[in-house]
Amino acid sequence: MKKRSTAFLYVMLAIPIGLMIIPTVIVLAVALVPTGVAFIMERGKGYYGGLTVGAMNLAGASPYLADLWTQGHTVQVALGVITNVFAWLVFYGAAMFGWAIYSTTPAAVSAFMTMTAGHRITGMRAQQRELVQKWGPDVESVYEPEGAKAAAQAAAAQMNAEPTAPGAKRAA
Amino acid sequence: MAEAAADLRQAPGPAKPAAPTLAAVPAASAAAPASPTPPPQPTPAPQANGGGSFIVVRDRFTLYCDRPIPSLDMPNALAYEVADRKQEGRPLYALVCKPEMPARISVMRTLKGLEIPAVLHMVDWGVAEWPPVDRKCVIVIYHRPMGGRVMDSMAGSFKRVPDHQFARAIIKPIADGLVELSLKGIAHRAIRPDNLYYMDEQRTKIVLGDCVTSVPAHHQPVVLETIESGMALPSGRGAGSYPEDMYAFGASVLMLAIGRNPMQGVADAEITKRKIQVGSYAALVGDERMPVALIECLRGLLTDDTEQRWQATNIDLWLNGKRLTPIQAKAESQAQRPLRFADQEFHSIRPLSYAMYQNWEKAIQIINDGTLEVWIRRGHEINDLADGIAMAIKSTYAMSGNKNDADDVIVSRVLMLLDPKAPIRFRDFRCYIEGFGGSLAIATLRKQKLQVFSDFINRELWRHWIAAQGGKVHADNQQFEGVFRDLKNYLKDPNSGAGVERCVYELNEWLPCLSPLIESQYVMEVKGVLLALDSMSKNANTKLWPVDRHIAAFLRARYAKGTGAQIDSMNDPRPDRATIGMLSVLAIVQWRLGPAALYGLSGWVGGLMGPVINSYQNRNKRKDLEKEIPKLVRKGNLAELYNYLDNPEERQCDAEGFAWAKAEYAAAEKMVYDFEHGQVDRQESAIKLGRQTGTVAATLIMFVTFLIVLMGKLL
Repeated sequence: MKKRSTAFLYVMLAIPIGLMIIPTVIVLAVALVPTGVAFIMERGKGYYGGLTVGAMNLAGASPYLADLWTQGHTVQVALGVITNVFAWLVFYGAAMFGWAIYSTTPAAVSAFMTMTAGHRITGMRAQQRELVQKWGPDVESVYEPEGAKAAAQAAAAQMNAEPTAPGAKRAA
Repeated sequence: MAEAAADLRQAPGPAKPAAPTLAAVPAASAAAPASPTPPPQPTPAPQANGGGSFIVVRDRFTLYCDRPIPSLDMPNALAYEVADRKQEGRPLYALVCKPEMPARISVMRTLKGLEIPAVLHMVDWGVAEWPPVDRKCVIVIYHRPMGGRVMDSMAGSFKRVPDHQFARAIIKPIADGLVELSLKGIAHRAIRPDNLYYMDEQRTKIVLGDCVTSVPAHHQPVVLETIESGMALPSGRGAGSYPEDMYAFGASVLMLAIGRNPMQGVADAEITKRKIQVGSYAALVGDERMPVALIECLRGLLTDDTEQRWQATNIDLWLNGKRLTPIQAKAESQAQRPLRFADQEFHSIRPLSYAMYQNWEKAIQIINDGTLEVWIRRGHEINDLADGIAMAIKSTYAMSGNKNDADDVIVSRVLMLLDPKAPIRFRDFRCYIEGFGGSLAIATLRKQKLQVFSDFINRELWRHWIAAQGGKVHADNQQFEGVFRDLKNYLKDPNSGAGVERCVYELNEWLPCLSPLIESQYVMEVKGVLLALDSMSKNANTKLWPVDRHIAAFLRARYAKGTGAQIDSMNDPRPDRATIGMLSVLAIVQWRLGPAALYGLSGWVGGLMGPVINSYQNRNKRKDLEKEIPKLVRKGNLAELYNYLDNPEERQCDAEGFAWAKAEYAAAEKMVYDFEHGQVDRQESAIKLGRQTGTVAATLIMFVTFLIVLMGKLL
């Protein structure tokens, strides 16, 4: 009940503001289509895709918005912008660039992390060697993740629970 | 003070044949000829240009190792010439005790310097290095009896002492001497004709000889011992008391009057049997003709009833001419119907008891088939005794699993009930509870099997014997009950500081430590242990611990308050704790009793600290310890070494550091595992991080673009 009243309040505020900046809304409605698409496509995976494409989309729209705001904030100017093919090219090219950023950075970061992990393992092994030298082999321990340990225990339990008679074939 | 300073030097005198070793020389009584020997002649003082060796005892008495006096040897000690440095020309001789038997140190401490009439004057005693056997021995210095022995050996005969001399020259002074000994709490227990000496060359003054070089009554022939004491093993007769001395005195007087041992050649068992059958006096006199004047006195001294036996007051009355009531031996209960056992017929209980002991295997038959019980119940009408026997049989079978063992215990218990005054008899072993300690000490010194002693304690024969004394329970017996209960607990404990070794030291106050490491040093006191170990460290196997079972038991028995906790720590199953426990035992003794520096022992102990060093996890600390221990060893202070090695702060620091290091290693291991095995996770985090990076970069580009565009328009 409260949510619905809050949404109604937002709509009631947005309508007058929207009416006041109609030319800007017209330009943005055309320019930010890729952003909307990106939000829809990346729904459930976080909003990083939408935000990245949106930021670049806005960056591409910024020269035309500046023109609109400085040359007279009218619907006519807004229509002039949205009928300009070059403007469309800039809007959608910037959005595409944003999408490219969104797509390539994970791979780049992963490559970087893989490169640094080798160095860290070497460092940690050296640290372990120092510990062994200082405290003896009794400090050594083998790490076994909980899942693996539990699986090993379950397997052992199964082996013990199902002894096979001599000569009998173990059930798969 | 037990330990005496001793020097070993080349004596300034003509070279003499080497002195025989203690082990090689037979006992005086066995070796002495049967015929009377002339009194020993005083030997000249050592010459100034000779090559014989001597030792100095207590910085005063020069004892010549190569000048033995065989005529004054004792069964457990050899006699040597002695010169007093302070009073030259004083006639002295020394008895060097053989190490196979403990000497009566407590008696030595009392008798030292005392001049008791008719008792050989002990001038001094000490422990000193004795070169012929290359070990320390107890040395007792006596006034030298110039007239020699009264009787050279028990086997021989001699010119009997004239009747008129007996009363005033022999009986009176010796009886007075025995009273004085008794007042000092000492029983002589070595009164026999071959241990009586003439102090003067004219052979007019008789004295009692040495009584401290062996355990009480060990070398007393059965003929000179009371019936009960004669039944016990020589080592198990116990310290005895004044009445036993008076009995031996009476028997000795009888032999002096006859001029020989009337029971010479008769087996010990036969002597005891005859004494039981006809009484001691009649058994010893036999067909001999006794001087009429002595008969009353001898009857009084040789009476078998301890309470009726003559004392010094009776002798005084007798010497003053008062005729005393003739002592009537208590008639033993006689059964009308005899009991046939071992081809003999018995009417009274005590002879049967002795026969049952002699026929151990047969005894169980008449016990188990009820013959004995019925005979006592019907023949003697002693129902209490019969009930006691029945109860002993029942309870022993109920408690014992093994029938053969139970049979032996039953025979032993029945014999205790039949003859409560007799020693505890268990097959070949027979001793009084008072003599058990001495017997155990001798068996340990002679490296004999100790199983019979363990059985004696574990089967609680002592408790049965005390119970068999009935209403006549002596206060000492109650004390012994507590002692033996403790001994049983020691035997159960397999750790160092307990076991049969502990029993030996608990029962023998002045027994030296019998550890193979320091046995030759004759250590009787705790503070001597470290000095002995220190001096033995040069030749000892330094891979072995300096605190073995004997030393641990010795310390625990003599210094339980000071070393109990440390010895417990020494028994810890962890090698490092046990090693530090061993060090702490030695350290606490040195700290409390000195000496300040023990270089040899420190070196020995320092070399054994491997487990302690390895107990520290930190390798750097280990290296530090390895560097520091030699420095501490050179100081010779074990307490300092202990404090350094077992510093609690260092230990805690090491433990905490190790725990931290272990955690750090595990964390690193986990991270490495994650890096090596966590590919999927890393990909996910890379994608997430990459997307975040892209968003941030795009946002930054947007703001910069806006800024540039707006700036361009506005400017």
